[in-house]
Amino acid sequence: MNLNLRPILSALARNRTGAVLIALEIAIALAVMVNATWIVAQRVQQIEEPSGFDARDMFAIGVSALSSHSDLGAAQREDLAYLRSLPGVVAASATSSVPLSPYGQGTSLSPLPGSNAPMTWTRMMEADEATLETLGVRIIAGRNFGAADIRPLTKGFFQAYPEVIITQSLADKLFPGGNALGKPVYSGDNTPMTVVGITSNFIPSVADTPAYDALLVPQAPGDFGIYFCLVRTRPGMTATLLQTAERHLATSNLDRVIFSAQTLPYYRARLDASSRDMAIFLAVVTALILSVTCLGIFGLTTFNVSTRTKQIGTLRAVGARKRDIVAHYLVENAIVLVTGGAVGCVLALGVGQWLSDQYQLPRLDLHFLVIGVVGLAVIGQLAAWHPARRAAAVPPSVATRTI
Amino acid sequence: MLKMQDVSKVYRTDLIETHALRNFSLEVKSGQFVAVSGPSGSGKTTFLNVAGLLETFDTGIYELNGQDVARLSDDARSRMRNEKIGFIFQSFNLIPDLDIYDNVDVPLRYRRMKAAERNRRITKALELVGLASRMKHMPSQLSGGQQQRVAIARAIAGDPALILADEPTGNLDSLMARQVVDLLEQINEMGTTIVLVTHDPELARRAQRNVHVVDGVVIDSAPYERRIPTEEAHGGVSRSAG
Amino acid sequence: MLRYYLRLAFNSLRRTPGLTALMVCAIALGIAACIVTLTVYHAMSGNPIWWKNNVLYAVTMDSWDPGTPYDSKHPTLPPPQLTYKDAIYLASSNIPKRKVIMTQLTGMLNGAPGQAVPLRVMTRATTRDFFAMFDVPFEYGGGWRGSDRDALPEIVLSKQVNAELFGGADSVGRSISWNGNRFRVVGVLRKWQPLPRFYDVVNSAFPPPEGTDQVFVPFAWMTALQALPTGNMTCHGSGGVDNYQQFLGSECLWIEMWAELPTAAGRERFRAFMDAYWAAQRKTGRFQRPLNNRLTDVGQWLQDNGVVTSDSRILLRVAFAFLAVCLINTVGILLTKFLRAAPIIGVRRALGANRRHIFMQHIVEVAVVSVAGGLLGLAVGAAGLAGVRAIHAQDNTYAMLAHFDPLGVAWALALAAASTLAAGLYPAWSVGRLPPAGYLKSR
Repeated sequence: MNLNLRPILSALARNRTGAVLIALEIAIALAVMVNATWIVAQRVQQIEEPSGFDARDMFAIGVSALSSHSDLGAAQREDLAYLRSLPGVVAASATSSVPLSPYGQGTSLSPLPGSNAPMTWTRMMEADEATLETLGVRIIAGRNFGAADIRPLTKGFFQAYPEVIITQSLADKLFPGGNALGKPVYSGDNTPMTVVGITSNFIPSVADTPAYDALLVPQAPGDFGIYFCLVRTRPGMTATLLQTAERHLATSNLDRVIFSAQTLPYYRARLDASSRDMAIFLAVVTALILSVTCLGIFGLTTFNVSTRTKQIGTLRAVGARKRDIVAHYLVENAIVLVTGGAVGCVLALGVGQWLSDQYQLPRLDLHFLVIGVVGLAVIGQLAAWHPARRAAAVPPSVATRTI
Repeated sequence: MLKMQDVSKVYRTDLIETHALRNFSLEVKSGQFVAVSGPSGSGKTTFLNVAGLLETFDTGIYELNGQDVARLSDDARSRMRNEKIGFIFQSFNLIPDLDIYDNVDVPLRYRRMKAAERNRRITKALELVGLASRMKHMPSQLSGGQQQRVAIARAIAGDPALILADEPTGNLDSLMARQVVDLLEQINEMGTTIVLVTHDPELARRAQRNVHVVDGVVIDSAPYERRIPTEEAHGGVSRSAG
Repeated sequence: MLRYYLRLAFNSLRRTPGLTALMVCAIALGIAACIVTLTVYHAMSGNPIWWKNNVLYAVTMDSWDPGTPYDSKHPTLPPPQLTYKDAIYLASSNIPKRKVIMTQLTGMLNGAPGQAVPLRVMTRATTRDFFAMFDVPFEYGGGWRGSDRDALPEIVLSKQVNAELFGGADSVGRSISWNGNRFRVVGVLRKWQPLPRFYDVVNSAFPPPEGTDQVFVPFAWMTALQALPTGNMTCHGSGGVDNYQQFLGSECLWIEMWAELPTAAGRERFRAFMDAYWAAQRKTGRFQRPLNNRLTDVGQWLQDNGVVTSDSRILLRVAFAFLAVCLINTVGILLTKFLRAAPIIGVRRALGANRRHIFMQHIVEVAVVSVAGGLLGLAVGAAGLAGVRAIHAQDNTYAMLAHFDPLGVAWALALAAASTLAAGLYPAWSVGRLPPAGYLKSR
């Protein structure tokens, strides 16, 4: 095919402003779309981060002491007994935090004793012997707490525990060589706490620490006047059992009060909420920018064709084939796309760099840029395809018609 | 009315210099009906553009209705075109999306006339050209001759002192052309000066006075009747500029 | 003349319905996106006590572990809370015009007339300057006035708690039990829920319904009842804590402190006071981290604590980039469309229109597109905000989006008008500059 670029370039040069504007539009669109899609990919990854346990059939009820004289220990035992008696309840446990929720505690640990040892901050959960079963979390090494190991609720503070359980993620951090089982950990003093069990990773509660670091201590919860009843039900029965339990517990013991009753999926949804919002918004805007840009190309090319029918007719009259006309418009469009795309690449990389500096986002993956450029080029050409076909359909007789 | 003295206009591009008008001198008295003819490329259209203040000129003096137009601002020129001149084009140049009434209305709008006054003038102009009944029609619904008559109505609606016409019968068949010429004569009899550019010998014959332009210069300025022998002498030779 | 131009504009826009629709919709979408993100950003990051921005300061010192920073993501920031020891000492200074130390804990209210079940309430234990410092509005009564050292049996109720327990009546002087102790109601607040909750971002800048402050008691009750805070608390350091006294002397961070320091001189003096204390304590082995005593104003505080998330800022920029794309699109379309009409413009010029007439005619067309796009954008933006609100019906974070405030509407309209008119200026201007003669030649 005879691709004579010069007439095409000179035609473009005469309509300079329109072409420049479209190229600019393409550049900005590319920069925004590539980076937005990159951020969406990050957020989707965050949302899909597995919780480490099946949160689907679980709920948690939060209990608060009525006064400082309330016997939370007794209340706990009573509540657990009631919950375990409900048909449909698979397991129940009393804990100090709710996985996937912001209710929780943290502490710092070290494999070495003393106050100068290097500490790792981790989430902490006061648990009983049924906690792991309720969560459905596996023991990888060692053992679970036994019922007798659980220290009853007293008015003490931050005591050291002879035995603790940690997650694999925390074990890898504290003992990089492996073999955390049986080793002591310290909480800034010289009292050793032995790791008797290592579990698979799960999210204990939500904070700024790495998601899967968790320490479980065998302690009946309630130091701060609060504890949670974690319950796992049989599939499909969560909603009704939650209602039943809440209603009963609200009045069964007037020494304490229920302050929250939610399913775990509710907390998961809240956790994902902002990531999800961001991802949805960015995805919508990306789609819209793509549409607007392509419609712009389509509209303007159609318009250009309709105003240049005389020239097209003349070209055809002197021997251009339909194919040549189509090629003319597609090449013209391609030049604009390439120019806009080149500027857009530079812009996209710049924006990506700025985003990662300013907001500590990971560096833009170049695959996204390549896909973005190729995608935009293909769709951009498709947008001009129909108008180009319409141009080719202009009959040569138009050349001789007067206005 | 129209007085040009040694007017020159040069078109310059990177490669060529075209002298469209060279020491062009012409005087048209008020009320005259003048036809300007000449071979193609002789500068007739440039003359019309300059006369109608559509283009500026490089040297010389041009007085329109007693006023020196050389130093007029764009605003002033626009006002003159609006109030003193009426244009008629070869391809009618009606605005396709406006109906006949609105087309005739266009120059009146720029004069900020009240609606009643405009209505009066438009109706009168359309009645004169015989198209008052088609006020609400679109240009595309009219024949070529009717469109040109609408254009004439538009040109006279503002009571201009001078009408400039560029090949007014160029796109019309002989019947429609005759109607147009009749109209122009009528308008001239009512006192309006008419200067038109034409190839059409019929049209030229109806004018009071004929001006012949070759290579940007006025060669001859005389009534058509005396032109016949000299026309034959020039016959066949047409020099183009540039 | 304006009516004439409007008629011409509608004519022209009707002739190319596809392009017109594209322009209007594109502008509408761009503006809607900006409205939604602007409103959310404004609501989430706005300083709810902006009139006191140069006066209120959060007081922080870095007593954390020398080995690791408090927040590894922001290693230069000190922890946002103080230990009991430090808070009590710093609050003893007379340099600030006013100062407040406070913490959060749960409480049980009982004994209101006709009350069947105890009501669990989120309690703020605070010293008395809290109400004056934060311009807290009272419906009835006021705050307590006694010494901060005394556990006065005086309590302030929120409007919602007062409505629930006393039917909304003036309950000042009435008696009620909080955590088993008898209190006298000294004040009832008007509806007061500054968002973000700048004075306590640690617990939550956008507290869920169960987390908002519902009653206020004097801070001294913490020690009087040996109560533990149930809000955020972080501890580090050697040794276990076996009793409450040891707790008070520990390195546990659970108190927020604010100081009212209207003058620069005052701030200097207070900082010197903090630094002197820091130096003295350092000698005893505390404060082993580098000196990092800070007085942070509200705006900066919100930023430091990540209340204005980077997400909302990114979204804002994306929305504006989208609007830019839409506007460029519009400029291109307008330019092409106007230039195509050049022959007709030539005719108008021949008939006496000057450049201003041509410019006005086309600016009116731009204005019509701009108004249409702006109104449509407002509608879509409002729908978008309603959608955001609906999705987050249970989340307090978006509660303030309930009202499309007049300021927001004004902003949106201004944005619409300005941006589209700016976009259309160039095409309208350039089309007026076309020489009339060039486009009249029909040959």
